[in-house]
Amino acid sequence: MSLRTSPAAAGLLLFALLCFVALDGALAQGDAKRGQYLAKAGGCVGCHTEDREGAVAFAGGRALKTPFGTFYGPNITPDQKAGIGRWSEADFIQAMRHGLRPDGANYFPAFPYPSFTKITDADLKDLWAYLRSLSPNARANTPHDLRFPFGWRWLVWIWKWLFFTPGPFQPDPAKSGILNRGAYLVDALGHCGECHTPRNFLGAPKSSRYLAGGKLPDGKGVPNLTPTRLKKMSDKDLKDFLQTGQTPDGDVVAESMGEVIRNTTSQLTPPDLEALLAYLRSVAPLPEEKK
Amino acid sequence: MNNKLAAVTFALLLGAVALDAAAQAKPEVMVKQRQAVMTLQGKYFGPMAGMAQGKIPYNAQVVQRNAAFLEALSKMAWDGFDPSTKGEKSNALPAIWDKSGEFKQAVERLESEAAKLAQVAKSGDEGAVKAQVGAVGKSCGGCHENFRQKQ
Repeated sequence: MSLRTSPAAAGLLLFALLCFVALDGALAQGDAKRGQYLAKAGGCVGCHTEDREGAVAFAGGRALKTPFGTFYGPNITPDQKAGIGRWSEADFIQAMRHGLRPDGANYFPAFPYPSFTKITDADLKDLWAYLRSLSPNARANTPHDLRFPFGWRWLVWIWKWLFFTPGPFQPDPAKSGILNRGAYLVDALGHCGECHTPRNFLGAPKSSRYLAGGKLPDGKGVPNLTPTRLKKMSDKDLKDFLQTGQTPDGDVVAESMGEVIRNTTSQLTPPDLEALLAYLRSVAPLPEEKK
Repeated sequence: MNNKLAAVTFALLLGAVALDAAAQAKPEVMVKQRQAVMTLQGKYFGPMAGMAQGKIPYNAQVVQRNAAFLEALSKMAWDGFDPSTKGEKSNALPAIWDKSGEFKQAVERLESEAAKLAQVAKSGDEGAVKAQVGAVGKSCGGCHENFRQKQ
């Protein structure tokens, strides 16, 4: 590189940088470091990374099998072609808040925007700053493989009209700060209910069975997270489990939650983990799903 | 009967009895045995996982002993997944027998990761041990993912 030897290039770079700083400063720049933590709390890396040794994080490729077909998480590195390098912050906020692509088409709700819509503006900006800081990767996206007629994106308008309420999380003033923080971690960032709340035949979570567990489409069981089941475990047991993936008797959790534990729950700060547990202990107890 | 003939007959008889015993192990007994192996794997793996995650202080001696135990244990459960145990009450999923190829792969993965752990434990390289504990944990979870009823 001739940066050091070419004052013109260096000057240009400095100018560009200054412009950036000025621009971003005016719009309240997101904090990439906070964004990294939020990305962990949101478990983004899971769906946006291939399931193989040596896969590049956030470069996309994870398959998500559903009754409607198989979805593949896209590349969200700042690559100009393969990733989201051409997006603006507003594009990102629109995707997360409203489930819309930059061109205005709907995302399929396999992308859990019904949860992510609850993320606050400030957090979205930090997340965006973090995503911009990743190294671009040119891994091309795998097209979704959907059953007829679920590949029609306009159908998602109907789904959204029925089931989707956009808007950031509103803290409940009647509840303590810790419970509100827990609710935010569980419902907005952590999107726990995407697996732990059973779905109806159109793939929308049944609100009457919030976090009550049941079965995933592939028949795998998902545990009940309401106090009906959690009351059998102490805070210490639950914390150990969410940090290590192990139960007190040395049992090792299955890999799907194991991954969530590695990527997300073990990365939470102690106060956030406390808040998450306090919130789970406060939700309505529901009986186990009928087998 | 000469002594040699008696010895051979005796040996054959013993062999037959032993084989018979193996073949006839009752399904409920096999389930109990393989569950005992799982329990012991947990017993020896647990502290190593705790050390890898910095929850308990690292102790190279404990790791070396536990890793050696785990390597042996990692080979013991599998003949307990005999088809005759399908009807027994346990968390084993039918996929164990329906997708026996995949099950065997998962088993071999644990065996080889556990063997690797025993090796690095002997080398005493703390960083390598901690990384390998993670690999063993993943191979446990990988098998539980597809072949065990979620609890």
